[in-house]
Amino acid sequence: MRFQLNFKSGKPVYLQVVDQVKSAAASGAVRAGESLPSIRPLAEELRVNRNTVAKAYAELESQGVIETVAGKGCFVRATSSPFKKTVRVERLTQGIDDAVTQAHHLMVGKTDFLRLAEERFDAFDHQRARAEKG
Amino acid sequence: MTPMTPETPVIEIDTLVRRFGRADAVDGLTLRVEPGRCYGFFGRNGAGKTTTIKCLLNLLRPTSGTVKVFGLDPARREVAVKSRVAYVPDSVAFYPWMTVRDTLDYFASFRQRWNQQTERALLDQFRLDVGQKTSHLSKGQRTQLALVTAICAEPELLVLDEPTSGLDPIVRREFIQTIIGAYQEGSPGQRTVFVSTHLIAEFEGLIDQFTIIERGRGVLTLDADAARDRYQKIYARFSEDPGALDLTGTRVLRHQGREIEVVVNGNAADVMARLQARSPETLTAESLTLEEIFVATLQPGGVAV
Repeated sequence: MRFQLNFKSGKPVYLQVVDQVKSAAASGAVRAGESLPSIRPLAEELRVNRNTVAKAYAELESQGVIETVAGKGCFVRATSSPFKKTVRVERLTQGIDDAVTQAHHLMVGKTDFLRLAEERFDAFDHQRARAEKG
Repeated sequence: MTPMTPETPVIEIDTLVRRFGRADAVDGLTLRVEPGRCYGFFGRNGAGKTTTIKCLLNLLRPTSGTVKVFGLDPARREVAVKSRVAYVPDSVAFYPWMTVRDTLDYFASFRQRWNQQTERALLDQFRLDVGQKTSHLSKGQRTQLALVTAICAEPELLVLDEPTSGLDPIVRREFIQTIIGAYQEGSPGQRTVFVSTHLIAEFEGLIDQFTIIERGRGVLTLDADAARDRYQKIYARFSEDPGALDLTGTRVLRHQGREIEVVVNGNAADVMARLQARSPETLTAESLTLEEIFVATLQPGGVAV
């Protein structure tokens, strides 16, 4: 998978890596069982501190997105979450709140917002279905 | 060797002063570097970076204040400190009659550890000819050789003083990749880097904490992510000249007709809300890079604090 870091985004660098892996897994760009690059080559390629990549992978592991197999590397897990549904809903709520805030400032109303959410859902489903067909 | 508890900072500088005649090269600098961090030490030429580093390595004695490395005084415990540190200075001098091979053996003879595998890998990567006399090496090759001598010793602390100035872009890239790869890989979390530079952009991804030094004093110390979160550039464009705007707490870069661009320090949300209230056509914010933060901090007038 490909990473694109942006130091001007205001988002911590390790979180950019976390979000990009999660997004790639959601869209099927990486599939369950596929491996991620190991820490050293990825850090070298992105020219970031090794600790930054290690921190991102640790975070992905704690969220149940990837698993580390000793001596083999990091693998994307089949969609499952170690958290209870209430925790998962709570986390998602934070993301939605951010999006609703943005929508308010960009003057996008509720109807348009919900339509867009539906479109994006379909787009991800579509991409994932295509990726699975290969 | 004194065992180091995880709490002991690798570097601890407390109100360091170093005077040359009447001039204070370093004038009350305080900073600490935790183990495993990559710490940037940013300053203009003559800001006091090299003097500070020389005090760390006991090449200069402080006029006052204290310097500790691994919790030890580098003047009293010189061997204990130096055996765990490697240093790449800005201009590297080797004995001109020695070959690359002789030089590596000479450096290795002072070291308790010497990783032969790393040595082979790096010589290969840098395409250094071991039979070459060091007097025949280019500036880039001398820096590469210095980096090999530093990394093969597997030091807990790697001190780099303006390591990439005067090097071509390819050598610079390889230099930084070597620090990320060969050096940091060895003992993750325990390999500390202290790098002084004014070429900040190329170290952007590597730095996790930094101090900006000016006229011998620390003017800003922050985590890199926190700094990029605090310092932002906000741009707004209105459909027509908005007239007077409340821009207190910002540094105005541009205020011309319908457009405005300001730098904020920690108050982005507040300033965004104030501008939003005036219904701009466009309103965006982006973080400053570490180099832009450096420039903004040292510019006359400075950033709004």
